[in-house]
Amino acid sequence: MTIQINLNQPPFSFLSEQQLGWLTSKLDLVFFPAGAVILDEGQAAPGIYIVYKGVVEETDQDGTQVFSQYGKEDVFDVRAVLESGCKHRYTALEETLCYLLPAQDFVQLLNESSDFSIYFKTDLGTQEQLVEQRESGGVSEFILSRIDEDTVRPAVYVTGQTSLARVAAMMEEQKQDAVLVRTARRTGIVTGTDLLRSTLLGDKTRQSKVADIAQYDLIDVAYGDFLFNALLKMTQHNIERVVVTRDGDIVGILELMDMLSVFSTHSHVIAMRIEQAKTMKELVTAARRLEVLVDSLFNQGVKVVSIMELITTLNRRLMQRAFDMIFPERLRNSVCILVLGSEGRGEQILKTDQDNAIILANEHDREAVLPLLQRLHEALLDFGYPRCPGGVMFINDAWIHTVEGWQQRVDRWLNSAAPDAMMNMAIFMDGEPVCGNAELFSPVKASWQRESLRSSIASAWFARPALQFETPLTFLGKIREDHGTIDIKKGGIFPLVHGVRALAFEYGISECNTLERIERLKEKHVLDEEGAQGLRDALLLFLRIRLRQQLDNDTDNPGLSQQLKLDSLRSVDRSLLRHALHRVKKLKQLLINHYHLESF
Amino acid sequence: MAPLKFWKKLSGQLPPQGRWAHMADPYDGDEVVVLDCETSVFDKKKGELLSVAAVRVKGKEIRLSQALDLTVKSDAVTDPNAVRVHYLRREDREQGVAVSEAIENVLDFIGNRPICGFYIEYDRAILNRYIKQLYNFQLPNKFIEVSEIYVRKKRRLVPELQLDLTFEGLARDLKVPVIERHTAMGDVISTALMYIKLTQFP
Repeated sequence: MTIQINLNQPPFSFLSEQQLGWLTSKLDLVFFPAGAVILDEGQAAPGIYIVYKGVVEETDQDGTQVFSQYGKEDVFDVRAVLESGCKHRYTALEETLCYLLPAQDFVQLLNESSDFSIYFKTDLGTQEQLVEQRESGGVSEFILSRIDEDTVRPAVYVTGQTSLARVAAMMEEQKQDAVLVRTARRTGIVTGTDLLRSTLLGDKTRQSKVADIAQYDLIDVAYGDFLFNALLKMTQHNIERVVVTRDGDIVGILELMDMLSVFSTHSHVIAMRIEQAKTMKELVTAARRLEVLVDSLFNQGVKVVSIMELITTLNRRLMQRAFDMIFPERLRNSVCILVLGSEGRGEQILKTDQDNAIILANEHDREAVLPLLQRLHEALLDFGYPRCPGGVMFINDAWIHTVEGWQQRVDRWLNSAAPDAMMNMAIFMDGEPVCGNAELFSPVKASWQRESLRSSIASAWFARPALQFETPLTFLGKIREDHGTIDIKKGGIFPLVHGVRALAFEYGISECNTLERIERLKEKHVLDEEGAQGLRDALLLFLRIRLRQQLDNDTDNPGLSQQLKLDSLRSVDRSLLRHALHRVKKLKQLLINHYHLESF
Repeated sequence: MAPLKFWKKLSGQLPPQGRWAHMADPYDGDEVVVLDCETSVFDKKKGELLSVAAVRVKGKEIRLSQALDLTVKSDAVTDPNAVRVHYLRREDREQGVAVSEAIENVLDFIGNRPICGFYIEYDRAILNRYIKQLYNFQLPNKFIEVSEIYVRKKRRLVPELQLDLTFEGLARDLKVPVIERHTAMGDVISTALMYIKLTQFP
């Protein structure tokens, strides 16, 4: 029988050749005119439909809320078959041809093939299988990891004569849980627990010598050994740290906590590492681990919006720690460092280029601050943030000003209709103070939140760049691709973010995050409920599918890649993308009407 | 209905007898059989049946799962050019069924349902030639010509309309996919889609 769809892909590829042949013999073909309701809420499904040609949209019963779209080779509605009853309405958007696999035949295949049925059950929200896979993945990752410089802490040494009080102070200072004790004859270890036990439970005092309480039978592992060997030793001896040796010499300590962090990349472990870092090198190690964290969180199915929030917090903390290491205390309060653009909006997931600026309290600090800024900039490079090709960085004069200087600059931007002035304003408007004296930012921010300014022509000039790139949709509303790719930033993210930013500018909304701006605009009735939800969904979809492809991308700076390969999208995502691009187009139309941009 | 039968007899129609008598009963169901034959040469009198495909169509649904798709075991010499048209080489046909068995299957499959096709007159002539030989009757079924419905629909609005009445022309204008053109089954599916679109769509 002639079947015009490729069944050599999941879920059908889970079936044996014989089962596929059987399935093929059970298919009927149904032809729906545009607008036909294929399945309606509450209706029993005759079977599962596999789209051959056309597009089917899944909506609620009034057709207002769109849940999904289905294109070639997509399958619906499994739930209706398994749960005897359809929850949504399925409408053919254009003339649509679907193969129909009768319900009883589908159920028979589910019973015959466990892989096939797992696929559909997972689709229905049963995460068991995924969890299992994840756990086994974690174990193999752990088994293959070795003890290296990322896991080993440099050891802190004290002499045997050091008093317990001094040791306790050092541990606190150096944020260590254990120190090595060197005496004339041997080397021992003392942990925080040892200190407590000997003083509170034992007869030692603050002045006792550490040599008396140290343990000298050190348990060691070799540098380069497998991590699980270290774990085995810790378990055998019921301890939480081992000494790492290389050619017989001690090179450091391996802590249970650090070791766990290597394969679990728990976010709190990275946060802890950022907090505990005492050198720039340790910060760099922590920073470099962020990408692995994103990858593992994303693969565990953590929502993009949560990852975004977490990474924003960690990024800022990282910058603050670097700032604290570089800036002497007396200067910290007389500057305010801003992160701009996506980092300011808190929408950065993978590291993109540095966008930042600085506000000086006093012009005469400039000379003192410049070399420090250079060092901070270099630290950021080491962390993995590439330099900004547009030069939007606090090492460039254009992005270093006093409060008054910034106010004048904002005025100049807003009084010029030039597109690049508007783009500078846009980047700056998303600024968030992250280091130094945040108070310095308030008077600057107030300079563009003036009522008179908002109602002026500047609002329209400001909005205009949202229209500069065409939405990649064809005249007939399909995705217009360029050699199989679209530029998701130009085509989707930028117009959406900037359109929302323009409205936020006009309505004096001080939030920077696009999702929060959308929420405020909804409260102010600038956007209706459905429009706000649509934009929110669209942005999260863009970010999610971009992140998926960026993580699969094996380049040095995956965060800079904006080209979306359409054929590697799941077909469901492809239709959702199309739908999201329509939302962007709708927003652009709103901007055109609102700001009368057709006359520009 | 006796006068009608009589008239049919007069006009050269032979009603089915015995096992096939029910085929002359009026049809009161809602299915249509879409059918297509491929022959050795394109000639009503000489063309030998090489393959036949048929599906039942009900409403907007094509019952692919109960389709009839038969290749006939035939050693008829085919024009090399014709092979290019229907892709049935003599080697392929050796796997087929005897022509008498094919005809028997076709008759069972269609029963008294209306038969629909593209240039169905040709298929009717071919089938009748074999049926007459084997069972001495001719198909009493109602025949539906897809291109005729198409012309009627199109010219209702603009009577002088110039129409491309080739199979591909109809498919293009009706936006119906052409599936494996010149295999009996592929043509049947496309024709069935044309029929559904012409009769079921608003």
